[in-house]
Amino acid sequence: MAFLEVKNIVKDFGGLVANNNVSFEIEKGEIVGLIGPNGAGKTTLFNCIVGYYRPSSGKILFKGKDITGFKPFQTSREGIGRTFQIMKVTTGLTVLENVMVGAFSRTDKREVAEKEAMGIMEFLGLIDIKEYHINELPIARQRKVGLARALATKPELLMLDEVASGLNHTETDEMVGLLKMLNKEKDMTIFLIEHIMEMVMSVSKRVIVLDSGVKIAEGLPNEIVKNPDVIKAYLGEKYAKSH
Amino acid sequence: MEKLKDALDFSDFSKTERICFIIFTIFLLVFPWLGVGSFVKTVMIQFMLFSLFGMGWNTIGGYGGQVELGKAQYVGIGAYTVALMMVWWKVPFWISMPIGILIALGYSFIIGYPLFRLKGHYFAIATICTSLVLKDIFDNWNLVGAAKGIELPIHEHPDFLYMQFKSDTYYYYFIMGLFYIAIFYMNWFRKSKLGYQLRMIKDDEDAAESLGIDIRWCKIKAYSIASAFVAVGGGFMAVYNLYIDPASVMELSLSIKIALMAMLGGAASLWGPIIGAAFLVPLDRFLGSWLGGHKGLTGIDFMIYAMLIMIVSAYQPKGIWGIIEQFRKRGR
Ligand SMILES: Nc1ncnc2c1ncn2[C@@H]1O[C@H](COP(=O)(O)OP(=O)(O)OP(=O)(O)O)[C@@H](O)[C@H]1O
Ligand SMILES: [Mg+2]
Repeated sequence: MAFLEVKNIVKDFGGLVANNNVSFEIEKGEIVGLIGPNGAGKTTLFNCIVGYYRPSSGKILFKGKDITGFKPFQTSREGIGRTFQIMKVTTGLTVLENVMVGAFSRTDKREVAEKEAMGIMEFLGLIDIKEYHINELPIARQRKVGLARALATKPELLMLDEVASGLNHTETDEMVGLLKMLNKEKDMTIFLIEHIMEMVMSVSKRVIVLDSGVKIAEGLPNEIVKNPDVIKAYLGEKYAKSH
Repeated sequence: MEKLKDALDFSDFSKTERICFIIFTIFLLVFPWLGVGSFVKTVMIQFMLFSLFGMGWNTIGGYGGQVELGKAQYVGIGAYTVALMMVWWKVPFWISMPIGILIALGYSFIIGYPLFRLKGHYFAIATICTSLVLKDIFDNWNLVGAAKGIELPIHEHPDFLYMQFKSDTYYYYFIMGLFYIAIFYMNWFRKSKLGYQLRMIKDDEDAAESLGIDIRWCKIKAYSIASAFVAVGGGFMAVYNLYIDPASVMELSLSIKIALMAMLGGAASLWGPIIGAAFLVPLDRFLGSWLGGHKGLTGIDFMIYAMLIMIVSAYQPKGIWGIIEQFRKRGR
């Protein structure tokens, strides 16, 4: 029994098939990357797993339990945390309060939630902006807040939708270090969508490639970059032939 | 115990706010002895009553950010429960009021369950409709007095069991007690888990769900708390006015005033509904008596309210309290 089993997922948006018979498994403790060109169906696949969309067909098993059709709050309670590709820029809650809401999923006590939130924010270096609102932060910080509040729910599986997009080189490197640390020290399984190839290659042990809703490849990063189908999907027919 | 501590703890407010709150409290306590006329006393009672309504609305409407425009039906439920039980079976206020709260809670769960499948404008319209339906039923239901309403028996001597007094001063201190219970409750609520979760829902529903929040359930809970608050106010109206009819306790305009007061003062803040009521109740009274003398001008008051809503939402969605906070930030 794998940690996460995705079996034959199909998601049909009334004619546009965003995920077409996608299957794969993730083992506990892995870091797996999900790549593919724009519109490949990566975010849709995430949304099917965590329950924002109900798959048209197929099954999702998490720790052996069938979670197909679960609502997002239920998959969160099962132990799946996620971040969003497009984070809503809000003005209501402060950064600290955002992270506290995540922590409240495990406790009813404000003091406990606050302590947990502060711990996570310290870990991610967000203490200095705890009183700020999300709209007042640069994008790199916003993404970290998204990560922090997901972490506050203490997920066993962390699903990240392009956490590194919009980050510069140093920030990306820092994020890679952070994810590796979470994986090693907090025993967190990580499944991440990433556009930047170098980022995926440096952080993931295994990569899944999606193109036009179909899984076209799966394997070790250095195999994937050499895979002709992947090259074709990313760079077009011409490039693949000339190599 | 911890809840009580949170309810009584105002330490995260600024010193100015705390001092103002204390002065305001002393003012309210001595107010009936300042020799003011009975009209002013009535306005004061109305002010505290509408603050209570507004604070209740603030749970779902302010913190939860849901445009709720059907609170009048719960005023009606509270008022009718107290009035009918007193007229039919001579049940004392202190028994009928808790029953009224329970009915309001039960009813709000039943209504809330389908209601919170809807979002945004659809939700707002649906809240209006449910309230209109209930008013229609009461308007035509002979058993409960239909549109004529019901009168409560008048007691000659002050009667704490039935909460019936000749003098307004008793009612004044009674509503003041309820008003402060509401303040302390809301002071706890804003720091509670539900309070945080509602604010997250208002900010970003998708993110809230990803953090394990059952959005619909949270909204239903907040809606029910709001309904219970409002039902208490309704029960008070029954014993205070000694006469209720659907037009006075279930009218759409009442729902709108409740929401407007909280929004005008500042939704999602503790003081907002109180500030809003302090503005709108006297204005409402003034317009009411002024327009009463000028036939053909009825409806102008609602034009003024509509304008206020537009100004608030365009200029400062956080209401008067938002403006005050803006100035304080600038001052620093
Ligand atoms: N709610 C929706 N309704 C209809 N079509 C949708 C919906 N969501 C996504 N799609 C379509 O499904 C396809 C896959 O979209 P998706 O967002 O999953 O791609 P992606 O791989 O995450 O792309 P990107 O790299 O740009 O984020 C796209 O063609 C998109 O237009
Ligand atoms: Mg995407």
